[in-house]
Amino acid sequence: MEQIGNMIGWETVKMVVGLVGVLVFVVLNALILTWAERKVAGHMQRRIGPKEVGPYGLIQPIADALKLLGKEILTPREVDKPLYYLAPMIIFVPVLVSFVVIPFDASLQVMDINVGILVILAFSSLSVFSILMAGWGSNNKYALIGAIRSIAQNIAYEIPLLLALLPIIMMTNSFSLKSIVEAQHGLWFVVYQPFAFLIYFIAGVAETNRTPFDLPEAESELVAGYHTEYSGMRFALFFLAEYTNIFIVSAIAVTFFLGGYQGPFLPGIIWFLLKSYLLVFVIMWLRWTYPRVRFDQLLNISWKALIPLSFINLLITGGLLKL
Amino acid sequence: MVERIKAELGATLKETPVGEADYRERGYHLFAEVASADLLNVARFFDERGFYLAALICVDYKEYLELVYIFSNHASLCKVKITLKIDPAKPVAPTISTVFDCAYWHEREIREFFGVSFDGHPNMTYLFLHEGIDFYPLRKEKIPVSDEDKKALGAFRPGEGEDTFFVNLGPQHPSTHGVLRVVLKMDGEYIEDAQPVLGYLHRMHEKMAENRSYLQFLPNTGRMDYLGPMAFNLGYVTAVERLCGIPVPDRANYVRVILTELNRLSSHLMWLGAYLADLGALTPFLFVFDDREEINDILEPVTGSRLTYCYFRFGGLYNDVDDAFVAGTRAFIERLRSRFSLYEKLVGGNVIFTNRTRGIGVITKERARKQAVSGPVLRGAGIAMDMRKSEPCAAYGKMDFDVPVGTRGDALDMYQVRIREMENALNIIEQALARLPEGPIMTEKAPRKLKPPKGDLYHTVETPRGELGIYIVSDESDKPYRMKWRVPSFSNLMIFPELAKGNLLADAVAILGSLDLVIPEIDR
Repeated sequence: MEQIGNMIGWETVKMVVGLVGVLVFVVLNALILTWAERKVAGHMQRRIGPKEVGPYGLIQPIADALKLLGKEILTPREVDKPLYYLAPMIIFVPVLVSFVVIPFDASLQVMDINVGILVILAFSSLSVFSILMAGWGSNNKYALIGAIRSIAQNIAYEIPLLLALLPIIMMTNSFSLKSIVEAQHGLWFVVYQPFAFLIYFIAGVAETNRTPFDLPEAESELVAGYHTEYSGMRFALFFLAEYTNIFIVSAIAVTFFLGGYQGPFLPGIIWFLLKSYLLVFVIMWLRWTYPRVRFDQLLNISWKALIPLSFINLLITGGLLKL
Repeated sequence: MVERIKAELGATLKETPVGEADYRERGYHLFAEVASADLLNVARFFDERGFYLAALICVDYKEYLELVYIFSNHASLCKVKITLKIDPAKPVAPTISTVFDCAYWHEREIREFFGVSFDGHPNMTYLFLHEGIDFYPLRKEKIPVSDEDKKALGAFRPGEGEDTFFVNLGPQHPSTHGVLRVVLKMDGEYIEDAQPVLGYLHRMHEKMAENRSYLQFLPNTGRMDYLGPMAFNLGYVTAVERLCGIPVPDRANYVRVILTELNRLSSHLMWLGAYLADLGALTPFLFVFDDREEINDILEPVTGSRLTYCYFRFGGLYNDVDDAFVAGTRAFIERLRSRFSLYEKLVGGNVIFTNRTRGIGVITKERARKQAVSGPVLRGAGIAMDMRKSEPCAAYGKMDFDVPVGTRGDALDMYQVRIREMENALNIIEQALARLPEGPIMTEKAPRKLKPPKGDLYHTVETPRGELGIYIVSDESDKPYRMKWRVPSFSNLMIFPELAKGNLLADAVAILGSLDLVIPEIDR
């Protein structure tokens, strides 16, 4: 073992093990979240959700995954093939990269980069490309409108998202996620920055295209938005990415505002997952309660409310820090 | 009102006499036969006096074709039947779509079913049928469609513009609740033009009626509007009873009111859920289904079915209601009343919902009249018109309820009107239950074989979606000579293109939902 380690370098081994771990977690997370979403939706809608496959329907997501895997991979005749094939694969890259820098526990982090949050934000912007490729490549009008909406939405909401995180970075003088968590040893940052937390959370929900901001895939208008033409495993990849994105948004919120893995009695990873899944639950709760906003209203919320508010917040934080 | 219109119409028409009909037998007060040169003048005459075109009907009498225009008034009860005879060999009539916009679709419908061409109509293309039809279905004799006609009728082709593209909303689309297709001409997210394409569910109920006895046709009525079949049943049986003069016992009248109102509730509940699903909130759909299920459970033991009811009979009912029904209905009233506050909190008070619906799809009173919209859409536009008040059938005349109206005429008003109508329906049921008399449910005077006397009748009832008009022509045989169904969704859909123009795609979905369309009813 020592020899192998010396031969290819400990860092590489750690990286590979970490990536495999991340892959396993992504799949597991998506399985759990699909089950949880259906259960949450069920109980909110006066029904019980899945119950036939396994105890409490726990095996249901596996059955669904097998079904999706077993489906014939259909390619519509008129699609732009390279774009159409690449889109579901590319959507997965930023998702995986984000996990590399998220600290699950004090020692459970694939890599602690000193520009951690920038890596996540930079890569999550890439998912727009994939959506654009899917929307354009599908050669379908619904898909195209969905993709256009998605891009406008993502650009509009990335700004408040970043601006809401900036005060924390100013307070800690660090881009590293781990040092941000360590800085919250006493009080969580949500106490100092409640507005930033709210702005981040709203923008995060919009970034993940969830109700009330699910315009890119608005079912009653666009059938399924940018992934209308996808089926089988390709559709499953979009689905997987969506659920992973929800987790990432929640995980960053926990890391920046809710003390990350820190908490009494229980091990850090338990605290981290508990807090993250609580936020995921809130996102699901929103989805099954609210109607969808209109496109111009969506952009208005970002440009006219969230961005000015986060700038004011940033100014106040800067002023207070200087004092 | 009737006297005044008679005098003024007589002065306008000069030579042609204006007849006075027995309203209780015929469903209209005045009638006149005009020459085709006078038709436009007559249309303008009614337009100036605030009438709306309730129905445009064509009847094939073999020697001649007759166009029947029913003009009606929102403010006071006055119905006028104007007829125009046309030569079946060369069927041409002037269009009145320049005066009454709603004639635009009615005339297209008559063109493809009777072959009557309308002079000056801007768009004589197919509305329901497709190019493969080679005869005019509602003519009494088989008349082949000429090639010229086929070419003219099948002219609808959406083409792409320079900066615009076409999107098909439907026929298989989550928000059209059925097989309605709307061809949208889009400029980015904005709609430049909307063109509904109908007929995906066309079953030709009107032709079926000509081949069945009056009783045999009764189950068809429930198949037209699958969400409010009770009101369609009620409209049909009361129409035939009116035509034949069959009396109905008191108890049956009260039970009819209770069941029709229960059905109205289930229809409005269904609309509420579906509308919110259109706006992206999926949970209320399941909540209203929960309530709707209760209604179905109450109606099932009495009527024997849960969706397409066929419960009323000429002269009474199929089955009497029992104490369990009365108790169950009372319990349901309590339950639904307590749910309204929940809906108000979840939906009516939701800022996203109100922002989505306020100020979109605004219908002015004038446009509502010109397009002959009816029901909650009309009341949302601010006109207090309810057939249950103005022309009460069954025991509606004895019920005490108000007619809610909107102030802005937008989609939010339609929502509020429907919610208040649900509350009203509960009040009506409660009153009817309290006064429910004992006695027979079926008259003994109902003839075994129905042969209504010669003549015609235009009969209207208020369905959950608005004014249902049934025009029956009887030739003393046991089958109707001609039966026309003026259905509310058809008229309400007509106003959609002008509401959608210039709006966002998301608004078009919200407007379409606020009209509460049932597609099988439009297509008949």
